[in-house]
Amino acid sequence: MNVLCTTVGLIAIYLYVSFVSLVWDGLDRRLVARMQRRVGPPLLQPFYDFLKLVSKESIIPRDSNKMFEASPILALAASITLLAYTPIGFGPILATKGDVLVFIYLLALIAFIRVIGAVSSGSPYAQIGAQREVIMLASREAPMMLGLFAILWRLAKLDVERPFSLETLYQHNIWEIGTPLTIVGSLVLLIVFVFWLASEIEVGYFNIPEAETEVAEGPMAEYSGRHLALFKLSNSLKEYASASLVVAMFFPWGLSQYLGISGIEAMLVDLVFHTIKVFMILFVSMSLFRAITGRLRVTQAVNLFWSRILSASIIGAILLVIDILGVIG
Amino acid sequence: MTPEELIKRIKERFEVEIYTSQTKTLHPRERIWIEVSRNDFKELMKYFQEIDPHAQFSIIIGEDRGDHLSATYHLELFCENSPSLSVAVITSCPKEDPKIPSLGDVFPSSVPYERENQEFLGIIFEGIPDPRRLFLPDDFPEGIYPLRLDEKGITPEMVKNAGHPYKIKKEGSK
Amino acid sequence: MNSRIEYWVKIPIGPIHPALEEPEKFIITLDGERIIHVDIKLGYNLRGLEWIAMRRNYIQLLYLVERICGICSFSHNHTYTRAVEEMAGIEVPERAEYIRAIIGELERIHSHLLNLGVVGHAIGYDTVLHLSWLARERVMDILEAIGGNRVNYAMNTIGGVRRDIEEKHKRMILEMIRYYREEVMPKVEEIFLYDPTVEARLRDAGVIPKRIALEYSAQGPTARGSGIKKDVRYNEQLGVYPELGIRPITPKEFTGVIKGDVFDRMVVRVGELWQSMEIIEKAFDQMPEDKIKTFSKDNVALAKLKKAEGAGIGRYEAPRGETIHYVRANPGTDGPAKWKAREPTFPNLFAVARALVGEQLADVPVAIASIDPCLSCTDRVAIIDSKTGKKKVLTEKDLLKASIEKTKEINPNIKAKPEAVGGICGGVRL
Repeated sequence: MNVLCTTVGLIAIYLYVSFVSLVWDGLDRRLVARMQRRVGPPLLQPFYDFLKLVSKESIIPRDSNKMFEASPILALAASITLLAYTPIGFGPILATKGDVLVFIYLLALIAFIRVIGAVSSGSPYAQIGAQREVIMLASREAPMMLGLFAILWRLAKLDVERPFSLETLYQHNIWEIGTPLTIVGSLVLLIVFVFWLASEIEVGYFNIPEAETEVAEGPMAEYSGRHLALFKLSNSLKEYASASLVVAMFFPWGLSQYLGISGIEAMLVDLVFHTIKVFMILFVSMSLFRAITGRLRVTQAVNLFWSRILSASIIGAILLVIDILGVIG
Repeated sequence: MTPEELIKRIKERFEVEIYTSQTKTLHPRERIWIEVSRNDFKELMKYFQEIDPHAQFSIIIGEDRGDHLSATYHLELFCENSPSLSVAVITSCPKEDPKIPSLGDVFPSSVPYERENQEFLGIIFEGIPDPRRLFLPDDFPEGIYPLRLDEKGITPEMVKNAGHPYKIKKEGSK
Repeated sequence: MNSRIEYWVKIPIGPIHPALEEPEKFIITLDGERIIHVDIKLGYNLRGLEWIAMRRNYIQLLYLVERICGICSFSHNHTYTRAVEEMAGIEVPERAEYIRAIIGELERIHSHLLNLGVVGHAIGYDTVLHLSWLARERVMDILEAIGGNRVNYAMNTIGGVRRDIEEKHKRMILEMIRYYREEVMPKVEEIFLYDPTVEARLRDAGVIPKRIALEYSAQGPTARGSGIKKDVRYNEQLGVYPELGIRPITPKEFTGVIKGDVFDRMVVRVGELWQSMEIIEKAFDQMPEDKIKTFSKDNVALAKLKKAEGAGIGRYEAPRGETIHYVRANPGTDGPAKWKAREPTFPNLFAVARALVGEQLADVPVAIASIDPCLSCTDRVAIIDSKTGKKKVLTEKDLLKASIEKTKEINPNIKAKPEAVGGICGGVRL
């Protein structure tokens, strides 16, 4: 019974998130268009794109190997799995003791599958895009993990049943501790995570692997038709999942407890409210960032991550640690 | 340096035919035209670079004049002055022996123009550092020079690889 | 050494690539992200203009050279007329010279605004692209109002200009200048002189040192960005430009340093926008009342040109640098024996290819965009139908038939039926 419930729940969430994340893509394109004083495409353009790509013939390069065709499917599978471990207004469906590790692992896995697909395509542009993707992956993970674990550690001190799980984020939040050190530390980490999110979805400064004018869409250079459609969908899901993490960490409040409802309705209300918060954080980290910045060179981006963002992350973590030690002492 | 001084200095060193032209604009503009044989040509160009080490090379105009081929080189001397010196050097070669010394070692920027004239007019620039084609495709037939007046065009036997580019089989493919 | 070569990757940028507006091919050898060697292959846009020119008369050639390129259509036209005027010793009325200067500067404004947007796009800063192209619409509208077309204004004719600039045009232009001064230029300066992203990407990218710029005869903003004070309008004392106070703009006046990178080239373009506006205003102040062309009719000009002898060189500073045209007369006929054009992009391409060695791959699109390449200008000579290798002579009737078919295909409701004027079009076999 429980297995059945989980499966149905996952499928429902998958359908909901696919719809919502594609709506967000349309909304993002329109918002950016308005900021650039254009009219922009219709709101449902990503759906039209997706349906058209699905109906199109997929061209397989002569020099590619089997992984070229397999990787879009693997990427989508990994994204769906990721949804099972994503906090979406309530704890993840497959909540376990260390689900935060699974979350990080799956997020990196999607990027790796993209790299494998790109390397298998045999195109020099895709190869360079793949190199850049790996470099960016290596530089953005460190500050993100440090920040995430610092916050979870701080929350684990608040008497939770399953420390280091994503559910913790909904039982307590970082602001309710209320000491000045945690508030300052959390604000610093919030900035770190906004940058991390922008680099995870590759916009603005960090649109490096897929740089259109430099490497012609990088890893996606050789993909077309159905395969490209699968990659686009998996990218949208990943966008939603990574923004969900930031929302769950910093803005976890739900509406249901104030409305006094419970059970399945509470979950639905929280899910919708969570989606609105995801849209807001994506607006800052994606649309606004995309409209007001250009792309950096890969060396500059790596430099930014290792020198500025990592040190910001360290400062935030140290503030939290001092707070913890103060509490214990 | 005025045009007169330049003409005097060149006349001292080389046996060349020099004439000037002037525009009828508000600020008359003088151009110096120098006709030189191809034997003295390279020495003359080197001498220009001695006069102004920053001489700017603008263009090679290759022409088919019926019985011979000519090449006009335009140079701008003292390019930061107003007015600068505008010099056109004309050299020529017979069609049977279309050879002109290359300026690749004097003015590096002349190489692309030499490549252009080589493929379009068949002037052979002796000692050119990079003799590949620039504009025409690599499989363009040898010995056809499109801008020569007596050129008859490509015969059907010379045409190969015609057809849709995707259908041309790559070597070694399945 | 041999073991390293295995890691080198050859990347073709082009013939078709998102960073390029027109087909050209850069073959780039890479070691990781660092560039080892750049090779250029041109000729994807060959249209055989020099060959066509042998079959045109002087007036028809005026319209052919205008269609070399869409952006610098006025520059080519202008340079060609100067070459013909120099060859035949034709005087141009002073008012016509002022009108030429005004249209030339309007064209410079629209070309530079276009390039600012393209560079923004090359670094992924699409907001810059959309906003600067929005601003560019204003000057395009003015050019359309004066010349009747957004792109090919056909203003020049041999011995003058074809249309006068009237009082209403003057009002429109001055209104446009006020709009640019107050609304566009502060934003442009904010972006290209002070924006941190733009500075991070453009500073020290695609550096062309002064030595290489001189050696490879770089032209226009590419040369001035490297600190060479060279501007054909100034060196050549062209037309009325000395009266308008022309001087070459270098980045030194704005930023105080000259590095010869992409940033400096953009600074030069921003400075030239200011300069162009000043020149237009001065030209309006000084413009005398006069006739606008020497020959009242084109056939009078052709009759005079029939007697011309010798050769002429025309030089003009197009927005991208020095354009140079050469015309040699064929006495007794109304067409030239030889016409040849050289565009600024041609030397600039080789200068930038040399300068890219040792830089990163990410700099290639900006460096290429920063010389504002105009490839349709650079490729212009070929004659043969590459598919069949046969020359096909299309008569006017065939062309008319083909164009009627195409029109019907697009809009079947059009009823008009144009008729062929005759087998000969304007005295020249098509």
